[in-house]
Amino acid sequence: MAVDVVMPQMGESIFEGTITKWLKKPGDKIERDEPLFEISTDKVDAEIPSPAAGVLKEVKVNEGQTVPVQTVVATIEAGGAAAQTAPSPAKQAPAPVPAQAKAEPPPSSASAPAARMPSPPPGAAAEQAHARAASGEKIRSSPLVRRIAREHNIDLAQVPGTGAGGRVSKRDILEAVEGTTARPTQTPAPPVGGAIPFRAPTGPSPLPPGGAAQSTAAFETAVPREKLYFGHYEVQPMSVMRQKIAEHMVLSKRVSPHVYSVDEVDLTGIAALRAKTKEKFEQAAGTKLTFMPFFVRAAVEALRAFPTVNASVDGTNVVLHKEANIGIAVALDWGLIVPVIKNAEEKNFLGTARAINDLAERARAKKLKPEEVAESTFSITNPGVFGGLFGLPIINQPNVAILGLGTIEKRPVVIDDAIAIRSMVYLTLSYDHRVVDGATAHQFMGRLKHSLENWSESIL
Amino acid sequence: MAEITMLEGIRQALFEEMDRDPAVVALGEDIGVFGGAFKVTEGLLARFGPERVIDTPISETAIVGAACGMSYLGLRPVAEMQFIDFIACCFNQVTNFLAKSHYRWGAPVPLVLRGPSGGSVHGGPFHSANPEMYFVHTPGLKVVYPSTAYDAKGLLKSAIRDNNPVLFFEHKFLYRRIKEEIPSGDYTVPIGKAVIRRQGNDLTIISYAAAAHTSLEAAEQLGREGIDAEVMDLRTLLPLDRESILASLKKTNKLLIVHEDTRTGGIAGEIAAIVCEGAFEDLDGPILRVTALDTPVPYSPPLEHRFLPNAEKIVAAARALAKY
Amino acid sequence: MNRPLTREQHFDLYYYMQLNRQLEERMVRLFRQNKIVGGLYSSLGQEGISIGSAYALEPRDWLAPMIRNIGALLVKGFKPRDIFTQHMAKYTSPTFGKDGTSHFGDLKVRHTVSPISMLGDLIPVMTGVAMAGRYLGQNIVTLTWIGDGGSSTGAFHEGLNLAATQRAPFILILENNQWAYSTPVSRQVPLKNLAGRALAYGITGKTVDGNDVLAVYRATKDAVEQCRAGRGPVLIEAKTMRMKGHAQHDPAEYVPQAMFAHWKARDPITRYEAYLTENKLWDETKKAEIDARIERELDEDQKFAEESPLPPAELAEQGVYCEGCHEIKADWHRPKSEVTPPKSSVEPTWTVESFGGVEAEIPGAKEVALSDNGAQASPAVEAEPRAKPAQQKTDGAGERLRVPFGRGPKDKEFVKEKSFARTRHHKRGKR
Repeated sequence: MAVDVVMPQMGESIFEGTITKWLKKPGDKIERDEPLFEISTDKVDAEIPSPAAGVLKEVKVNEGQTVPVQTVVATIEAGGAAAQTAPSPAKQAPAPVPAQAKAEPPPSSASAPAARMPSPPPGAAAEQAHARAASGEKIRSSPLVRRIAREHNIDLAQVPGTGAGGRVSKRDILEAVEGTTARPTQTPAPPVGGAIPFRAPTGPSPLPPGGAAQSTAAFETAVPREKLYFGHYEVQPMSVMRQKIAEHMVLSKRVSPHVYSVDEVDLTGIAALRAKTKEKFEQAAGTKLTFMPFFVRAAVEALRAFPTVNASVDGTNVVLHKEANIGIAVALDWGLIVPVIKNAEEKNFLGTARAINDLAERARAKKLKPEEVAESTFSITNPGVFGGLFGLPIINQPNVAILGLGTIEKRPVVIDDAIAIRSMVYLTLSYDHRVVDGATAHQFMGRLKHSLENWSESIL
Repeated sequence: MAEITMLEGIRQALFEEMDRDPAVVALGEDIGVFGGAFKVTEGLLARFGPERVIDTPISETAIVGAACGMSYLGLRPVAEMQFIDFIACCFNQVTNFLAKSHYRWGAPVPLVLRGPSGGSVHGGPFHSANPEMYFVHTPGLKVVYPSTAYDAKGLLKSAIRDNNPVLFFEHKFLYRRIKEEIPSGDYTVPIGKAVIRRQGNDLTIISYAAAAHTSLEAAEQLGREGIDAEVMDLRTLLPLDRESILASLKKTNKLLIVHEDTRTGGIAGEIAAIVCEGAFEDLDGPILRVTALDTPVPYSPPLEHRFLPNAEKIVAAARALAKY
Repeated sequence: MNRPLTREQHFDLYYYMQLNRQLEERMVRLFRQNKIVGGLYSSLGQEGISIGSAYALEPRDWLAPMIRNIGALLVKGFKPRDIFTQHMAKYTSPTFGKDGTSHFGDLKVRHTVSPISMLGDLIPVMTGVAMAGRYLGQNIVTLTWIGDGGSSTGAFHEGLNLAATQRAPFILILENNQWAYSTPVSRQVPLKNLAGRALAYGITGKTVDGNDVLAVYRATKDAVEQCRAGRGPVLIEAKTMRMKGHAQHDPAEYVPQAMFAHWKARDPITRYEAYLTENKLWDETKKAEIDARIERELDEDQKFAEESPLPPAELAEQGVYCEGCHEIKADWHRPKSEVTPPKSSVEPTWTVESFGGVEAEIPGAKEVALSDNGAQASPAVEAEPRAKPAQQKTDGAGERLRVPFGRGPKDKEFVKEKSFARTRHHKRGKR
């Protein structure tokens, strides 16, 4: 029997995904849970395992194509004992059921498109739409869309809306009608007049297509677009991830008033400890020993002491998070991602180190799960690993602070009126001055510094 | 085929019609010996004589009234308003005598009232008017507003041959700025028919007169951004070409209306109502409009520039509409 | 100048005046029976003007009535039923109920132009008709009326100014009936005799006793001949009195009763009846015969009108445009070749006969003595037009100084050049 393979929902506010690579071709045998294709979405790139065992029958969406969540991208001819009734797409989709069960999605993070109105996730659209229809609320759509739906007996509630504000757009309904992007049959166009058309004046050199898809602040240009194109140039359209990063950065800066606090920390002790126990640690733990777990542990302690720094802002409410979910920024060849160590306050040094390495590895291998890139409460970034004394990072919304690590290097410092050579590092705390005042920030940093300079926890 | 300006197209139409039919006469201020303030009627007097090319006193009411009386005897007068702004002086004659004559007592008034209109020439509030809507609002009149040399010539001929009073607006900014090759020989352009200047699929821009050119300019820019705009030139404002408007809207499903006339009471509102009545279920977005400000036409260039619609404003509106 | 009227013509004048009056009396009764739609206007006491002036025209001439010129429509050949049905908004009216009162006309046969309610606009329109008639070689005269009130409008001025500058064969009868709605003429115009306005336009102005139908007829006949001779236009002020209010809804209490009495004694029909009797142009029998005929015609036409239906509602949507319902054809009475090239071609230059200035005299102008009751005609005031385009290329016209456009008399170069105009014309043609 034929089993549908669908585009999974990789996060609450993700509406679509791009197929980046098919790992099997029609006719190939495939096992249950065997990686079948790779996708790229707003939040995360991932490998998608097959929902059934059998033979890949038909590929409906090709590499490079972007389709809305729940679109059938392929079919498998399931057969043999291994075949089971096709699990429901919802189960296969990594989107956790709790997300659907939530009555209301949380206010959209700044990385969602259409900044103006919070958009309900289309994966939950069916349920939400039913609820809406039951309550009599109109499904957002234009007269044209409603007519097409009526003419083809399509329940608008079943059609995912990708238009502005989550409305069902013309493209959505047409795809629902035909599954393609064909246009409705055109009424004959008005006759082109016998008049010789006016010759438009020659304008500036042609511009490549702009990012017309999303209407967010990230895509404003500060100068007229024509002025960007001069001399020789190559135009590189942004990947979805890059677009999301761009959006997030602009919005973060716009929403949070950033203030920076820089401190210098003496890591000589930690450096010595690390040097001494590195081999033993890696043998025993099975994972590398970097500086990062030290920072994370110290940060967790400091956050415990200064809960305001472990918070989010909702209008006039400060949401103090009880868990410390530490996001660690990971540089990728193709961009940047921030996997999150959940409940870092419950982990010891070893657990923290393991978590960090595991997340980083899987980030680079595109094997992160969506929940592993969400729900951070504080973030750490390490620009210093690429050089530079210190950075002034942008807060990872909806956190209210981010810690930036500079280069760890040996520098001459004054101790007790003598010059000593120590392993020093500049730490920057970028904080949101809506809720974190200078006093708190500096105290937080002081605490951090103290922890790092007086390392007491056993690392083995 | 010769390349001519819009002004020359109008003059040629007058010449050819007066040649063809001795019932066609012209009257207005300074149109004879002087050839008209814009030289539209230059050469007419020399060819057709003072019985047919009449220099009148400064009396818009008398000019239009006399033209009306002439048309009752079967002549086809072409009366000029030196600037169309001055049609306000004879508003009564136009709206009460000309417009109502056939409806009331079956007496057709086959005259043409023509004159230079529109802004962008630093004319100030009394030499830049776009008063077309006062007359679009008056049943019994026809209102024509071409945007090309070909159309100007063909439409003026149609207007002269029409049995009804036709107001023929000539955008003075376009008079000498646009040139076009036109065919030799007699041809007319039908009154009451719009034309598509640029085929498109994403949205329809409806416009007329100088704003039609601005709309085309904007459409080129939009094309480079991946937005495929259809541009329609109305050419006639009364009677409005409902069929073409609705057909284009059914094709693109989005509508932007651009006119140099002031916003309130401009034809954009009328078109929006027609579309809502005739094609509501084909609308995929709100009907937007780019118009002049609701003010008199200001004089100083930065003020006039702000007043008038331009390609930038059209592009911005079209982008917003395309994204909806 | 005029041929004396025949007896029949005398009877005609009485017939039309009495028909006019009786028709209007019946309409007053119908109005009070609620059978008239809208307002009702009266020309009581002014019948002499309408009939006297209209009667002086030929069938080919054109006229346009104002609200109190129903009598003129009757002279032109419209029937009482046309008037009844117009006022009763019937489908059988000349406008099918589209408009009322005297707002109708006939382009083809009776050469009548419908008025609009705004005053003065008929003057430029009838000037245009006159100009067109001349252009087509029809040798027609056009005529319309205006009240003392209407003479204050801009349209009056513009129209008469145009008629005068164009020397149109146009006659304007100014009915000075002393009242414009509730405004007495002394408040309306700064002149005692409105014929004095003719001076401003350099045209003939005459004042007549409007309640003397023969005087009106003769004055108009003179004017008609003057116009046909190409010496128009003419302004005739006919003095009369509006014997009722502005309309049926106006009891005219603002008019002193003595004024009504004064003018009632000068009623045009009474006076004319007396004239006919005194000059033995008729007798009692003849009068009774005409009166009976009037009664019969009015009975018949009133019945027709009362029994006529109202128009169907769908008619409201029809007739806005003429799309082929009429064939518009001018009636040429001269060869078209005269107004087509090459015969129509001229030199596009001005022939200016005077350079203006205070020393230039207006030939024939005199201080116009305006007498009190306006019974005497004022001296004719005529003026030649100041400028016209050069007619022929021949310039053997002697010393006449030709000033081509753009060059002034102080231009020394110009003075030297004798054939300047022609050269300049060629240059312009080459552009």
